[in-house]
Parts: sequence; C-alpha cells; structure tokens
Amino acid sequence: MYFVQLFQIASIDAVRPVFMIVMGIFLMLVAWRLARNTEGWSARLMVGGAFLLCVGYAILIPLYDAGKIEKYYPGANLHSPSTALAWHAVKLVVMNAGWLVLGLGLGLHSGLLRVPLIRKVSKTRTVSGHESVA
Amino acid sequence: MNLLLESIVANGLLFDALGIIGLGVLALAALRLVRKSNSWGGSMMGYGAVALLIARLYILLSPHFISQDLLAAIGPLGISMTVALPTLLLTFGLAGVVWGLWGHEKWLRES
Repeated sequence: MYFVQLFQIASIDAVRPVFMIVMGIFLMLVAWRLARNTEGWSARLMVGGAFLLCVGYAILIPLYDAGKIEKYYPGANLHSPSTALAWHAVKLVVMNAGWLVLGLGLGLHSGLLRVPLIRKVSKTRTVSGHESVA
Repeated sequence: MNLLLESIVANGLLFDALGIIGLGVLALAALRLVRKSNSWGGSMMGYGAVALLIARLYILLSPHFISQDLLAAIGPLGISMTVALPTLLLTFGLAGVVWGLWGHEKWLRES
C-alpha cells in the first residue's frame, strides 16, 4: 500500500484486520438487536446473513492477514495446496452467501420483497412504513 | 479435483454472482427504506452497498482488461489507484452498510 505509514502499529496493513473484526462483530450485534423484536423470515435471514458475514470478516480475513491460512491463487507456492483450496472455498461460500442472505433479509424487511402468502381471507392491512413481516 | 470443489473454486464466478446479486438486493432495499420511511440509515446502506458493488465488479472484471500496456499508459499514479481504490471502496462500503444498519436499527427503536 502506497499510503502514509505513520507508525508501524498505525499502518493501514495493521489496522485493517482490527477494522474487519470490529465491523464483523458490530454487524452481528446490530442485526441481532434489529431481529430481537421482529418476527419471521426477515429477521432470520438478516441474522443468518450477518452471522455468515461476521464469520467471514471477523474470523477468516484476519486469519488470512495473519498468515495462518495460505492465500490460494494460480501459481502459488503452497505448503499444503488442499488446505489452502479448502479455506478458499469456505471463504467464497461464506462471504458471498452472507451478502446474499443479508440482502434478501433486508429486502423482506423493507417490503421490497414479500413472503408469498396464500391469503384465504382478505385481511384489513394496517399500512406501516415499516414491514418487518413474514 | 473433485468436481464440486472445482466448480466452486475454478468457476467461482457463480458465488461471486450470488454475492453481487445479494448486494444489489440490499441496495434496492435500502433505496426503498429511504423512499418510504426517510430513514437516513437506509441511504447510508445504499451508498455502502453501491461502493461494495463497484469494488466487487471491478475485481471481477479487471483481469479481463488490465494489461501491461494499460498499466504503462496510466502511469505510477494510475497503478497506485488500481491497487488503492478497490480497497478503499471495499472498506468504506462495509463501513457504510454497517453504520447504516446501526442507524436504521436505532431509528426503528426510537420511532
């Protein structure tokens, strides 16, 4: 990184894992708080997505940054290629599915998407700006 | 290599596409929150999601158009940008989404 490095401990490379861990945990906390008083699929999807992302941002990426997991890329000189490949697959699945599930949960929460319901009786709906619905 | 593993890793485009779709849905949901409920958390999440989308799309597409000639043409500042900008976008994107979600949750609780 060609950024200003003030001190070793405050350098961008050193701060990044801390930032990721804090963000991951904060995301989990906020999603949990949001879902605490909410019923239904939007809450489940948001917490699930946040959990996957927390695992990715707070655990996987710091492990990569700390060198505990070898980075997998074509032409890499790997100690154990199968392990590196396995962790790479885990990272791909967790980070992408995390955003997908969180996005779907937020879509449900905002009313953008709705859980398809077969309404037997037409109910009177209270229109609220906020549909934390399932 | 096991076929399933190969399809996950070598053709990782499938999972990257899922992530991008998820971010797109997140951005649209955030937009809806802004339009319908005037939640500032929603707009923060929208900006964050857009930043993440741009960074991810760049990372996916860059192997296809970045060549030595292009790098030579854009010069050392340009090369620094190709390294720094995606990371910056990813960082601020994540920060935006998390901050927006927190703000939205606070707004929900208080209203």
